[in-house]
Amino acid sequence: MYEKENDLINAYMRGQMSRRSLLRGLASMGVTAGTAAVLVNGAATRAMAADFDWKAHSGKSIKLLLNKHPYTDAMLANLDNFKELTGMEVTYDIFPEDVYFDKVTASLSSQSSEYDAFMTGAYMTWTYGPAGWIVDHNEWINDPSKTNPNYNWSDMLEGVRKSCAWNGRPGGALGSDDAKQWCIPWGYEQNNLAYNSEMLEKAGVGVPSNIDQLVEIAAKLQAAHEGVYGIGVRGSRSWATIHPGFLSGYANFGQKDLNVADDGKLSAAMNTEVSKDYHAKWVKMIQDSGAADWSTHTWYQVGTDLGAGKSAMIYDADILGYFMNGGDNAMAGKLAYAPFSANPEAAAPTPNIWIWSLAMSKFSKDLDATWYFMQWASGPEHGLFGATQMDFVNPVRQSVWDDAGFRKRLSDSYPGYVEMHDVSAPGAKIHFTPQPLFFDLTTEWAATLQKMVAKEVPVDEGLDQLAESVNAQLKDAGLG
Amino acid sequence: MHHHSPIERVLRGIALLIVVLFFMFPIFWILLMSLQTNETILRSPPSIVFEPTLSNYAAIIAGRLDSNVASMGIDFMSNLMNSVILSVGSVALALVLGVPAAYAFARHKFRGSEDIAFTLLSFRFAPPLLVLLPLTLYFQQIGLADTYFGLIWVYQLICLPLILWIVRGYFEDISPDVEHAYRIAGHSWFSTFRRISLPLAAPGIAAAALLAFIFAWNNFIFALVLASADKQPVTVGALAFVTASGIQYGQIAAAVVLSITPTLALALYAQRYLVEGLSLGAVKG
Repeated sequence: MYEKENDLINAYMRGQMSRRSLLRGLASMGVTAGTAAVLVNGAATRAMAADFDWKAHSGKSIKLLLNKHPYTDAMLANLDNFKELTGMEVTYDIFPEDVYFDKVTASLSSQSSEYDAFMTGAYMTWTYGPAGWIVDHNEWINDPSKTNPNYNWSDMLEGVRKSCAWNGRPGGALGSDDAKQWCIPWGYEQNNLAYNSEMLEKAGVGVPSNIDQLVEIAAKLQAAHEGVYGIGVRGSRSWATIHPGFLSGYANFGQKDLNVADDGKLSAAMNTEVSKDYHAKWVKMIQDSGAADWSTHTWYQVGTDLGAGKSAMIYDADILGYFMNGGDNAMAGKLAYAPFSANPEAAAPTPNIWIWSLAMSKFSKDLDATWYFMQWASGPEHGLFGATQMDFVNPVRQSVWDDAGFRKRLSDSYPGYVEMHDVSAPGAKIHFTPQPLFFDLTTEWAATLQKMVAKEVPVDEGLDQLAESVNAQLKDAGLG
Repeated sequence: MHHHSPIERVLRGIALLIVVLFFMFPIFWILLMSLQTNETILRSPPSIVFEPTLSNYAAIIAGRLDSNVASMGIDFMSNLMNSVILSVGSVALALVLGVPAAYAFARHKFRGSEDIAFTLLSFRFAPPLLVLLPLTLYFQQIGLADTYFGLIWVYQLICLPLILWIVRGYFEDISPDVEHAYRIAGHSWFSTFRRISLPLAAPGIAAAALLAFIFAWNNFIFALVLASADKQPVTVGALAFVTASGIQYGQIAAAVVLSITPTLALALYAQRYLVEGLSLGAVKG
């Protein structure tokens, strides 16, 4: 199968013909663009094989635990090339996102050897790492006998790479010299603005560029459109309410969640004057122009409302806005993107990020073989394939962001997306302080926001109470 | 005999209609949603006027999910089959083990009988995760992890205590004199159990089995923790329509309709047994 086609592709790989001639040639053989992409990637994969013994673990089998996600789909579409390259077998279990982390936690805490590697978020590794459930991937990354010479680890965006590394000490800086690489970045999300350009135009307003403008323009948009609310942000009683837009804007004012003293003790840092001012604006924005049922809003409602034309803007994950600009969404094709600095005096945005990563389980029976999959799946070739042919966006590698084809593809259908990323990427990282109470403290923070929005407690008082409670919990846990 | 005035009959009918509408509305609404595309479901304000489509059912049965950005495989029909295997299997096993045990607890007072019965009931008190994590370790060692048999065994934590305690009550309500009379006629103990006690307690057994089936069908956590993706029931499978790139409301609704159909059909069929069975043990006479 595909013998003639492969000859053509190999000629292209040797530089004997242009990409355009290749695609024309393939089209004349009845090969669709999608199949052509997989074939070309296969040739690129074979070229990789020249410098490294990819067959060292041939005949072995590994099993993955995956979340149902476009990143997973992109990997599966290219998986045959990995199997061909290494002679390894890969099986996998895919679970829905709602229950995915329950499955991961159950599997790791029972020390199950069923799965060799799994998808995770960087925040989760703050629990998995100290518990001894995952490995320090530096051991493999830095071993030339185990990692292929083209892997190019330093090609990974610095903020993203460092956000996945922690020395395990509560309050320890992410990406410090003694940090352990708990997971390998795979795809990531920045938090910025996605807006309905038609609605902004009709209301005669521009794109907001700081928090005061955001509050004002959200209100204007709401007033100008019947049945539409101005701004979508998350509001459920969960850590997930704090980490997207809210923390990105908060960090832009130089604010932190926790202080780390010289002796390593942690204390609450969210009741400063600047923080109180930011909180007050955020709360007013939701009261004036947020969803009526804001306190139940998660990722899904924020995205769905933007896609259905029920909200005019969102300050949330960039890829959420990306997904809503396609498919059968009523507003598909009408969305645009902009970087957002909440602080008018800030030089650039400082988005907090979510990183879908891959990690190897400590209980895997063959970590070396599993690393072969890890380095392929997080390598530059698969990154480029996924980003240009599938929805493996945002890529974590600079080389993919530099690819002209990828930039054009994004710019054609997602106005402003590439520029938004370029402007925000230098400041994009995890802005939280890594420590084991992360989920508890951020959930309480979200609960406090809910009370402020519901006017059950004034902002000043609410933040003082929150800081007091956070300090007590840190002390109880021996961290404060 | 009571005679009702026509007005009273009409008012009674209206009241009944309101009650039925109130309880049936969520199911009716889900049925309507399952016949719409995501776009019509999400329009604002919602409307019950739309062009019905079977595309959600077609997508589920064919196993393809068309999300906002891509088309991906969904294995909902095999989730449905897993639910049938796990629920039917575990209720059948619980009946085989539980009914004779319930009879023994009801008829024969032996040393420790109450303690054993209570221990079995106490399985229901433990939080499932407390039991499941250690079980995962044991199951891996003895090769039961990720097998239907292993899961059906664990499902006994739900089904066995339910059947044992409900059926025990029915056996206790049957007068022992009937059994004694049959025994005196020269029949064996087992024959008495089979020919007299079982038929008399049948409505109760059917009610207990139906309840156990519903509990097993709705279980979520056991298979999630103990089995791999190909053995997950509908309760886990239905969540696959909630994806990062959007919620497929129409397909969720179609999945709900498909997944409640077996229990609904069974409950309708066994309705009279259920009511009769549940009320039979209610009053001691």
